[in-house]
Amino acid sequence: MTRPVLESLDLFGSESEAFARRSFLKQLAMAGAATLAMNEPKLLRAESVEHPRPTADSCILLWMGGGMAAPDTFDPKKYVPFEVGVPVKEIGSTFPAIDTVVDNIKITKGFENVAKILDRGTLIRSHVLPDLGSILHSRHQYHWHTGYVPPQTVACPHLGAWMARVLGPKNPVMPPFITIGQRLEGVGESEELKAFTTAGFFGSEFGPMVLPYPDQAAQSVRPPKGMEAGRFESRQRLFQKLLDRSPQRDRMSDFQQQSYLRSLDGAHRLLSSKDRAAFDLSLEPKESAELYGASQFGRGCLLARRLVESGARFVEVTTEYVPFLNWDTHANGHETLVRMKQEIDQPIARLILDLESRGLLDRTLVILASEFSRDMIMEGKPGSTANDQTSFPVEKLAEMKHYGQHRHFTGGSCVLMFGGGMKRGVLYGASAQERPYVAIEKPISVMDLHATIFTAMGISPKTTFEVEGRPFYPTEDGQGKAVRELFL
Amino acid sequence: MTRSGSFQPPMSLQCELTVVSRIDIRYILTLSTSTLRLHFAEAGSLRYVRPPQRSSPLITHRLFTAFFVGFCMSSATVAYSAPPDFAHDIAPILREHCGKCHIGANKKGGLSLNTRATLLTGGDDGKVIVPGKSGESRLYAAVISRDPDVQMPPQGARLTDAQVAKLKEWIDAGANWDEGFVFQKPSYEPPLKPRRPELPPTVSQRSHPIDRLIDADLAKQRRQRPAALDDIAFVRRTALDLTGLLPSVESIKEFLADKSPDRRTKWIDQLLADETAYAEHWLTFWNDLLRNDYGGTGFITGGRKQISKWLYQALIENKPYDQMARELISPSPESAGFSEGIRWRGTVSAGQTVEIQFAQSVGQAFLGINLKCASCHDSFIDRWKLDEAYGLAAIYANQPQEIHRCDKPIGRQAVASWLFPELGQVVASDPQPERLKQLAELMTHPDNGRFTRTIVNRLWQRMMGRGIVHPVDAMQSEPWNADLLDYLAVNFAENRYDLKQTIKFIATSAAYQSQSEVIDPQADQQNYTYGGPRAKRMTAEQFVDAVWQITGSAPRTYDAPVVRGKADGLSPELSKLTAQWVWSTAEGSSAVPKAGEAITIRKQFTLPAAPTRAGGVFTCDNSCDCYVNGKKVFASTSWERIEGVSLESSLRAGNNEVLIVGKNGGSDPNPAAILCEIFVRLPDGTSQTIASDATWEWSSTLPKPDGKFAKAPQDWAKAVPAANQGVWGSRINGEVLTQLTHVALKPQRMVRASLLKADFLQKMLGRPNRDQIVTTRPNELSTLEAIDLNNAQPLADSLVAGSKTWVQKYASQPDRLVDNIYLTLLSRMPTTEERALSVEALGPSYDEQSVQDLLWAVLMQPEFQLVR
Repeated sequence: MTRPVLESLDLFGSESEAFARRSFLKQLAMAGAATLAMNEPKLLRAESVEHPRPTADSCILLWMGGGMAAPDTFDPKKYVPFEVGVPVKEIGSTFPAIDTVVDNIKITKGFENVAKILDRGTLIRSHVLPDLGSILHSRHQYHWHTGYVPPQTVACPHLGAWMARVLGPKNPVMPPFITIGQRLEGVGESEELKAFTTAGFFGSEFGPMVLPYPDQAAQSVRPPKGMEAGRFESRQRLFQKLLDRSPQRDRMSDFQQQSYLRSLDGAHRLLSSKDRAAFDLSLEPKESAELYGASQFGRGCLLARRLVESGARFVEVTTEYVPFLNWDTHANGHETLVRMKQEIDQPIARLILDLESRGLLDRTLVILASEFSRDMIMEGKPGSTANDQTSFPVEKLAEMKHYGQHRHFTGGSCVLMFGGGMKRGVLYGASAQERPYVAIEKPISVMDLHATIFTAMGISPKTTFEVEGRPFYPTEDGQGKAVRELFL
Repeated sequence: MTRSGSFQPPMSLQCELTVVSRIDIRYILTLSTSTLRLHFAEAGSLRYVRPPQRSSPLITHRLFTAFFVGFCMSSATVAYSAPPDFAHDIAPILREHCGKCHIGANKKGGLSLNTRATLLTGGDDGKVIVPGKSGESRLYAAVISRDPDVQMPPQGARLTDAQVAKLKEWIDAGANWDEGFVFQKPSYEPPLKPRRPELPPTVSQRSHPIDRLIDADLAKQRRQRPAALDDIAFVRRTALDLTGLLPSVESIKEFLADKSPDRRTKWIDQLLADETAYAEHWLTFWNDLLRNDYGGTGFITGGRKQISKWLYQALIENKPYDQMARELISPSPESAGFSEGIRWRGTVSAGQTVEIQFAQSVGQAFLGINLKCASCHDSFIDRWKLDEAYGLAAIYANQPQEIHRCDKPIGRQAVASWLFPELGQVVASDPQPERLKQLAELMTHPDNGRFTRTIVNRLWQRMMGRGIVHPVDAMQSEPWNADLLDYLAVNFAENRYDLKQTIKFIATSAAYQSQSEVIDPQADQQNYTYGGPRAKRMTAEQFVDAVWQITGSAPRTYDAPVVRGKADGLSPELSKLTAQWVWSTAEGSSAVPKAGEAITIRKQFTLPAAPTRAGGVFTCDNSCDCYVNGKKVFASTSWERIEGVSLESSLRAGNNEVLIVGKNGGSDPNPAAILCEIFVRLPDGTSQTIASDATWEWSSTLPKPDGKFAKAPQDWAKAVPAANQGVWGSRINGEVLTQLTHVALKPQRMVRASLLKADFLQKMLGRPNRDQIVTTRPNELSTLEAIDLNNAQPLADSLVAGSKTWVQKYASQPDRLVDNIYLTLLSRMPTTEERALSVEALGPSYDEQSVQDLLWAVLMQPEFQLVR
């Protein structure tokens, strides 16, 4: 890549954001020209695409992988408690509704902490997902994370890669695209997960730093195990000395060599910078760390906050998608969700409050979303060809394990958006009160939700890159339209 | 690039959308996400309604579309049509009806429609179009006129009513034009037929055909000939380019000791003669090109097949490329994974069905033709048309293929056809296997110069750092030296499509054996001229292999389902087969064994320790499924096709069980038998053989497909050796021995990264997800990659492991240690200065840590990472 992250980002240091942005785009355009010969995707029309004025500088995506059931979380329906013999089709929610700090919004029991901070965000109840004819979670997740349904003729970049590519890092030494909490090895569908946890055709410069375990994140930016700082530095000095005395010094002007050395230098700067402390959760004061709880997701939220504080651009924190675990409830849904809520309720609320108290919420867009919702009886959506995949297809409840949202529902789901220029204390859209709980009011597609996110971050949904002669946009065919009504 | 914009109607238009009675599905599709597209596909009939408010019509329309389309609400009252989309609606009309006289070089009456500017300028008689006013536009008047002196086009088919209406609408909407869109015939169309160029005269005794061509080019460009590569650099570059490995210190010394004038050629021959090293290096190239991998998307739902075995064997044998292509296009089960593509469960857009994937993959892999654009609409970037992409897809298709334009059916069926009818055509009415054979023949037709040019260009790019046509998948572009490309292609065909021959042909040229160019990015923008080979960054596989080479930390097992190396030669340890052919009865009498009879046979045995090496051969007349300790290890449907199976990871210390489900074939009773021989090497060096004989047991109970019994069989009885062993043995015993020797006795070489699934480090260093064909690896290191090079644990662990050996070998000889590190990693001795620095860094009593740090500091040198 011709545009090494560090060099371009030095521009951000002392100058105003607006100016830096302009220079950055110019630089990007130049980089685009320089890459021409190198067969890299190039930015088209850098001059003519007008980027919107950003309302957020950082973005945190809280990913509820596996299908978060709207009726049991943020869109309560008819609550029917567990009782042997109750017909399943009569059950809307398996949790009762609770009040929130916003008068007209009720959510479900177990989200008492989130209920207290809903005045900081917008709750969308009309997110529409595609029904792909057959449920493969990772395929829907690919779509949600890239805006394109696989298979595709080119490897599509992740949302975070778009931000890395178009905006670059906010802090020069902080990788612009970080994912937390999702293992990519040793779990089901891992190949499919890898297929979208990538910068695709943008190349790995814009790819994710993958941190599956928040508590081990510090290791990713530390010298290798067993190497103390002094040795790390002396190793670097040795490298530099040998380089300076290399008989191939005459190649120092070589374009490829220069770029190679710049990247090595950049890596060393991060690995020896103060900012890497952000990755180390052991440095968080005990009192504030405890407020996030001990769950992996809670630790991930804490890490996300620390990273954003240090200038991360895009951070995704997942509850981790593992087939049949967490939100992917094919059986025993109610009891699983009791646990899920315990794990996420407090950290989500704490993350928002911490960002707020640090004055970061206004410029940090936090989104909570999932690849689709779930339902007690309906698989897919009305008319879908998707196979029923519940483990216990029963008409009436007999055991507790039958009680829960065990089918994948694509007709409508919930999204939360906080900060970053979004309205506060607002409900947007609605789903039907009677089954099927499809989105009936102000449906919002993945494409338009993405356009909204990109717009908030100051990226035009029409931004165009060329790959293999084809124009490629952050939203399909550049057609995504931000939902203006969601903005402050 | 010609099409860069997306259509956006002006605001005024959005508010004045014409009310019509029919639904314009195109509009929905143009605007919709795939979400909506799929909703549409399922909903069948649908309506489209005017939204209640007019504030932001586009957004709201779409939201309503999403909802109504998705859920079949049919209370719609009014529908309205969309403004035409230039690229999809207008450009094809202009091209079809006006192109002959007003597009490209044609400017009849001074009018050119090449760009919006030329259209607006008009012709000799003035303006032809007034944006927003079709009534005042002469272009519109001409297309509707019946006056032979006025009408356009003057001859041939008139525009249809629908086209006229679209054109009118478009003019009235302001005659928008996709930014950057230019009508023009491509300035360059690559020739189809092979051509043998005349070679320029030899200059300064550089008589290699490549050099005669290159020298003439350099002279024409007034560029200096790059300096020759010295021996050391030559040895290193060729070893890495041809086998992917660092040259060993011994081989370098041998090479330097050889004083014969043709030692460089001998060295190249020697590298290429190492079939295993060659195959396992070029495997990376072919896996990328044919998108083959050992894991990845699609496998999880059974929607994808590997071609690893076939491919590995093809490389080991140096199978002629035309034959490879034929076997990929018209495949056996072993090579079918390529043409079958990746089948996703659920609904897939029309541009990514397996049939269309076939067209795209065949076009890209063999011809460097990008049919991805044309599988959705007539391409804007080259000459390929939607019909042509579908024609190719229809060759593969088993069902009629309805042509879809941008995911919308256009009411025509595709006709099986291939891209260059000049060479002949497939018979559309023939059955699919026949059509594929015909396509395979056409593709490899001696007159198909594009087939040979594409592959020699890829090889050139791999070795010289940049294609003669560049990028290598844009073969419609003009080569910087057409003579060179054509010569290589003709030479390749004459050498019977021998890949190694072409690699050698390039490697033996003085051009290849020149110093790589120092690239100045400023000087390299548009007009590339040749200035020497270019440095290549090590591939992920090369880097990982190199680390394993210098640290001895390669894994013992690998993921590719292949037995490595070439099966040849026997070992005295395995000079005779001990296994017997067994079944439930000894003889094929008139009643037994019955046709279709299936039995289970087993052998339980103990091993004193887990084997260090183990392999087996299984076969059955007619077919078998074989399990070792409950794991399926082999299946066969052809008793004559013998294959070794590696069993190290399946066998263990203590009790073991081999279970074979054998099945007889035929329609009448006929002889049936099973043969199995397993060779086990134990840690103490002794060996053990497990071979089918009368001590094995058989049962009529069959296990489930996973090799486990629903209920343990109660009828185990002794297996019976067949009366006439020679019936089978005489035909295949020799091959069984060869294969068993190969899998169980041949010395194991270092496992190569190309045989493993992509791990994190390989992915980080640029090994692609092979969901798509990716023929070019990133040539530059990214910062994230550099972080991994600094602190990736697997790399650090390898260095820790390797440093022990280095310290042991060169204890208290720091000079020799440094010399050998330089020799091994950089294939050269350190300079005095480098040696002094390194020795100083090691310190007087150096330990493993300081060796690790020196290894790392040398590994990170650009001299190591860039193949020059």
